[in-house]
Amino acid sequence: MATAGGGAYSYSLTVFSPSGKLVQIEHALAAVAQGTTSLGIKASNGIVIATEKKSSSILIDDSVIEKVAVICPNIGIVYSGMGPDFRVLVTRARKSAQAYWKIHGEYPPTKILTQEIANIMQQATHSGYVISYDGTNFGALISVLAHRGVRPYGVSLLVAGWDITRGPTLYQVDPSGSFWAWKASAIGKNMVNAKTFLEKRYNDEISLEDAIHTALLTLKEGFEGQMTEKTIEIGVVTVPSLAELEAGKVEGTGRYKPTFRKLTEEEVRDYLAL
Amino acid sequence: MQYNGGSVIAMAGKDCVAIASDLRLGVQSLGISSNFQRVFPVTDRIYIGLPGLATDVTTLHEQFRYRVNMYTIKEEREIEPQAFTQMVSSTLYERRFGPWFIEPVIAGMQKMPNGEYSPWIAATDLIGCINFAKDFVVAGTASEKLFGVAEGLWEPDLEPDDLFETISQTLLNAVDRDAYSGWGAVVHVITKDKVVTRTLKGRMD
Amino acid sequence: MRDASWSSTMEVSFALTGNGYVLLAADMSAVHSIIKVKTDVDKIKELSPHLLMSTSGEPGDTVQFAEYIERNLRLYHIRNIYPLQPPSAASWIRRELADSLRSRSPYSVNLLLGGYDTGTYTPHLYWIDYLGTLAEVPFAAHGYGSYFALSLLDRYHDPEATLEEGLAVLRRCVDEVSKRLVVDPGKYLVKVVDKDGIRVVEL
Repeated sequence: MATAGGGAYSYSLTVFSPSGKLVQIEHALAAVAQGTTSLGIKASNGIVIATEKKSSSILIDDSVIEKVAVICPNIGIVYSGMGPDFRVLVTRARKSAQAYWKIHGEYPPTKILTQEIANIMQQATHSGYVISYDGTNFGALISVLAHRGVRPYGVSLLVAGWDITRGPTLYQVDPSGSFWAWKASAIGKNMVNAKTFLEKRYNDEISLEDAIHTALLTLKEGFEGQMTEKTIEIGVVTVPSLAELEAGKVEGTGRYKPTFRKLTEEEVRDYLAL
Repeated sequence: MQYNGGSVIAMAGKDCVAIASDLRLGVQSLGISSNFQRVFPVTDRIYIGLPGLATDVTTLHEQFRYRVNMYTIKEEREIEPQAFTQMVSSTLYERRFGPWFIEPVIAGMQKMPNGEYSPWIAATDLIGCINFAKDFVVAGTASEKLFGVAEGLWEPDLEPDDLFETISQTLLNAVDRDAYSGWGAVVHVITKDKVVTRTLKGRMD
Repeated sequence: MRDASWSSTMEVSFALTGNGYVLLAADMSAVHSIIKVKTDVDKIKELSPHLLMSTSGEPGDTVQFAEYIERNLRLYHIRNIYPLQPPSAASWIRRELADSLRSRSPYSVNLLLGGYDTGTYTPHLYWIDYLGTLAEVPFAAHGYGSYFALSLLDRYHDPEATLEEGLAVLRRCVDEVSKRLVVDPGKYLVKVVDKDGIRVVEL
């Protein structure tokens, strides 16, 4: 059985190979590396996340495809890898954000939401159970929902958000469930080239506007075909001003107005034209 | 609610809040203890009062301590009064059809986006319906009397010392008219950088 | 649901703290409706070398609950070499009753917990009821005796009293109950816990 690289260990999710690897996780990373490029850049006054939206046929209605997703008013994510896996994670993340809101009356800080997603992804790497964090029980009750044969999620994510304690933050989550904060990062097909490109272009003082242009420029590097508002998706985090924070607060609930939003096709077209 | 007795009140002042409670624990009309604490610190700037069934006072205090500790570790920050109030509310609502017999009162200083602190007082019913007030909140067996006296004595923008005097007089005079509350009192005055706690003598009858 | 007639039985227990000790006293009778069936019952369990617990309430429950607590505290002692100190033991016992209250079959047991803290060298007395209400107090009582004893203790209790003085106050309580309660509960068992451990003392 089995293949050259992992030998007999390559199919068993929960068994380490003698060299200490979980080969299925490496295969998942390979799946991510085949996915379209996505990237994120943290600017001095916000964050941009962007991705290439590629469809295999011109007959596909690509206006319906969504690769940058809003999780809650202050957090958005983008992925490289397998679309269906991403969709499941988006659903779980949105639910988790609402569960948090229900308990605390405010949306989760970016780090907490990232941890939540990372935990879901980590759990898929070490057992055949789907374990759910029950939001109403503050994690006191971890319940086994169903028995399923699981594989790791075939996606890497970039999570961008703003919160009052940490300000704007950008995280990357991998299929293993590990996550890091980045100033700028890229995932997917051209990630190595894109990261080198970003390293050259990045500085700590970069403005959000410049970051959006850098993001487009980076995507252009490995882009196949025409870059248009139909083949690019962009999401931005903006840092609210003090006045906005105070004005945007709804009496009683204390909710802030959204700090993450997706750019419209018109806005993307304008950035491309520049 | 009447079984063990006890009352709590919280008031907002100028850059300060105060929370006060009596110290009686009884079984119906029989007094058991004159040093039963039902107001507890949550953080350096939040206090919670838990009038109601005494067994639930202890159980909920332990429950909130656990949940706030978990919050502090997970979030790497102290909980703010507003989020804590929500937490209290959802904790009580979890037991919607078999409730804890407690009507919590929360007092704290809430951090604003500009870095300053503003008074926060709130109370909930026994299943977690939040009552957020700008002036004062009351709960417990003497709540009707507390409402009456507070309505007469409270005024806006009281300085910490004046707020202490107002809340103390309100509590002591209200519990004197209640058979289930009294036997001494404790008052906490919370400002952004300190809490002053005083124990008051009361009528022992 | 069982009836709550236990709460109106003639069981009596008192406790008080003094200088470095806690005194516990409980009547020794077992009663079934109007019949006194035993007069040599020990209702004060020795939970650990410096911890005493008197029980009263529903007859079966008192024994079952006391033994459950006793065995678990013993297990703790064996596992950790050191026994649980009074404040921690009180907190745990309270939690057992509070959880039991909202279970399918709650224990109907009232307790007085007296202990000597060998870490801080202080005596502790806790009043605990079947609801899981916990209060640390200088003196305490359960049952009908409390209506007579508490007012006497209000007047005569001294937290710095010697053992002899403490016993004198306890005697006042016992005598008052014998005199004023319609049925005299009869003999009392008195135990004391201090730095030297637990002893039975004569009133």
